[in-house]
Amino acid sequence: MDLAPTISTQGLSRRFGDLVAVDGVDLRVSPGQFFGFLGPNGAGKSTTIKMLTGLLAPSSGRIEILGIDLNAYPVEVKRQIGVVPEGMALFGRLTGAEFLSFAGRMYGLDRITAAKRAAELLEFMQLADQPRKLVTDYSHGMQKKLALAAAVIHAPKVLFLDEPFEGVDAIAAGTLKSMLQGMIARGATIFLTSHVLEIVERLCSHVAIIHQGRLVAQGSLEELRAGVEAQTPAASGDGNTAAPSGEKLTLEQLFLRIVGGTHRTEQELSWLE
Amino acid sequence: MSSTLHRRAQLTAIAALRWRMFVNGLRTKRGKMELVSRILITAAFALGGLGGFTAATGFAWYFVSQNKAEYLATLFWPIFFFWQVFPVMATAFTNNPDSSELLRFPLNYSSYFLIRLAYGFFDPASALGCLGLFGILLGASFARPILFPWTLLVVLTFALFNLVLMLTVFAWLERWLAQRRTREIMGVLFVLVMLSFQLIGPMMERLEKKPRPELGNATRIMVQVQAVLPPGLAADAIAQVTHSHYLVGVSSLFFLAALTAAIGSLLHLRLRAQFRGENLSEAAARPVVAQPQGLQVGWNLSGFSQPVAAVFEKEVRYLARSGPMLLTLVMPLFMLVIFRLGPANSLRHSNFLGRTPDMAFPGAVAYALLVLTNLVFNSFGGDAAGVQFFYASPVGFRQIMLGKNLTHASILLTNTALAWVAVSYFYGTPHLAVTIATVAGLLFAVPLNFAAGNLLSIYSPKKRDFATFGRQNASHTTVLASLGLQIVIVGIGVAAFFLAHLYKNPWIAVLLFLALAAISIPIYMIVLRRIDGFAIQRRETLLAELCRA
Repeated sequence: MDLAPTISTQGLSRRFGDLVAVDGVDLRVSPGQFFGFLGPNGAGKSTTIKMLTGLLAPSSGRIEILGIDLNAYPVEVKRQIGVVPEGMALFGRLTGAEFLSFAGRMYGLDRITAAKRAAELLEFMQLADQPRKLVTDYSHGMQKKLALAAAVIHAPKVLFLDEPFEGVDAIAAGTLKSMLQGMIARGATIFLTSHVLEIVERLCSHVAIIHQGRLVAQGSLEELRAGVEAQTPAASGDGNTAAPSGEKLTLEQLFLRIVGGTHRTEQELSWLE
Repeated sequence: MSSTLHRRAQLTAIAALRWRMFVNGLRTKRGKMELVSRILITAAFALGGLGGFTAATGFAWYFVSQNKAEYLATLFWPIFFFWQVFPVMATAFTNNPDSSELLRFPLNYSSYFLIRLAYGFFDPASALGCLGLFGILLGASFARPILFPWTLLVVLTFALFNLVLMLTVFAWLERWLAQRRTREIMGVLFVLVMLSFQLIGPMMERLEKKPRPELGNATRIMVQVQAVLPPGLAADAIAQVTHSHYLVGVSSLFFLAALTAAIGSLLHLRLRAQFRGENLSEAAARPVVAQPQGLQVGWNLSGFSQPVAAVFEKEVRYLARSGPMLLTLVMPLFMLVIFRLGPANSLRHSNFLGRTPDMAFPGAVAYALLVLTNLVFNSFGGDAAGVQFFYASPVGFRQIMLGKNLTHASILLTNTALAWVAVSYFYGTPHLAVTIATVAGLLFAVPLNFAAGNLLSIYSPKKRDFATFGRQNASHTTVLASLGLQIVIVGIGVAAFFLAHLYKNPWIAVLLFLALAAISIPIYMIVLRRIDGFAIQRRETLLAELCRA
């Protein structure tokens, strides 16, 4: 049975002057999917996620989240989603507990519930041992955990994460991953962008790849592999994009084949020696 | 590359960087608006500066040509006060970009120190102070051309002293206000200073009652004391040379230079700490000890929604943790004390505040409103990247703005009440009609300020750090617009009080203000109702300006 998509876009485009940052993207994310949105730097990932979360207006196209038109009913959509944007959207001069309590109330929780959930989240994220510390004094990893905690305090049905693992150590990343997997197990949908392909490969059931503003691949990892292998024989490509015979292509190899990139190994900057 | 050449290359690169930033800033419509506003503000300052320059030139010429060069102290003192007090009172006009971002480059300490000094010269107070000093130089040189090189040396030393002192005060204030403990000590000291001012009034009265010779002695002592302070030293250095007391003149200049070096060493302590990567956060100052805390339940504001109450609480917490902002907000009370000691006291016999102390209350409240413009006209400045949260949340900007406006209104209300108590204490209880007229005036002025402030907060935002003091300037468009609005509001207020005075009926002012409030309140409501649309329309500009690193 084909479930109604949790996130769907039709012809989503965004121009900045003459530059077309996102060009006619048609996305389809089903309920309960852990969806990875990949692309090289400047491909349009952040622009897309900003449009999906109401932080940026599309130039054209349509966005539906949980079947609701984002443009027509932004507040209804925002009530049901959680967002960790690129800049993390934290208020630096609050303590962690104050910020989470604030976030909960902004998402409609009463102040007692917001305070209780804030305390639980701080405990879960291992941020409770320095209750008077201001957010501005948190390390980068702590800020990421706090941003994620704020995004989930109202138990959203859909979670949008822009580079959630960037600059996060292995311990913090482990905490984040266990929380996200718990949410998926409870039926939430997660849409994340990341440059760490190993993490995406381990976490995500489905991925989409954007390149130069256009969606160049979308589906489950198996579907992507099948598509790539059908187009190009496994033996082709250089050492970075070819898998040893009999082994599956990794996401990194798939990614490099799809966007056509190679690792630059030859030394061109003689003055660096 | 030799170290001198390397340093010169770095300084040139920084100058080029500032120039490129300026030129690139003109690519957008907003950047062009900023430039126009900056030109207009500079023109307004230049006009005031030219007045000061002309007066300084004329008086300096007169004093020197009349062989009374020691009276130059009366010119050096106002310049000194202006240079030091103006940046603290009007932080929005200061223009010292944060140079800490340069620390990532291999900049040596002396270059960093020089850059900070150079940035200090961009401050309007420095520019206008220098203009006044140039006036003294011209006036003295016209009167006695032979004095030119010596006066130039004195004036340059005095300018350097003022610049170094201004930077030192800012740097140390920032350091003291950054941490809770030192902030509390500063708070206590402030209260003690306020209380100690109370002793001056009775002392002056006692002096006035005593026979004239004693008053003369006191004046002589004051003149002697001021002569060993920097403005007095500068005047003395010139005066002694005009009287051919070269050695004394040189020693005065030497003392001024020594004082500059001493203050400079204090600045060096601060800047060196910053150069080494000092972190002025509160948490770093306290021992990190795990303390079990009970459930922290947010504040409740009866009659308002959860989001409005949450925004109100967040704003109050932000302000309570910002020493520089707190200091700005208590300035109206401080000014009341200053006026009690200064013009009000000396003009008591000319029947100014002595006979009409009622003017002190509206004046203090108007000033309280003025210092709030920093917050009201740039509501999202302190939120920085946090503004994304507002856009991502399911809360309309109408509620967010209402929460912020409530905070600002509460501050104003507190300041108004404190001003009333202070005025009653210093000048006598204001007349009931004046009190009511002032409150009615607020009913007119506050909604108008909030309406304009809400619009400019969205249309012309500027990221600011609540923890730093004076190292950031407001958007020039905002400064110009808010200044224009304040001039109109204060003008209307003065006109209303003047009419009331003319017809000897203070209730006329009450009626006028209430009538004006009947216009300004609906304007505020209309702006608030439409603010969601404006916020969506300006979403990209707001996010781009406030979320930049």
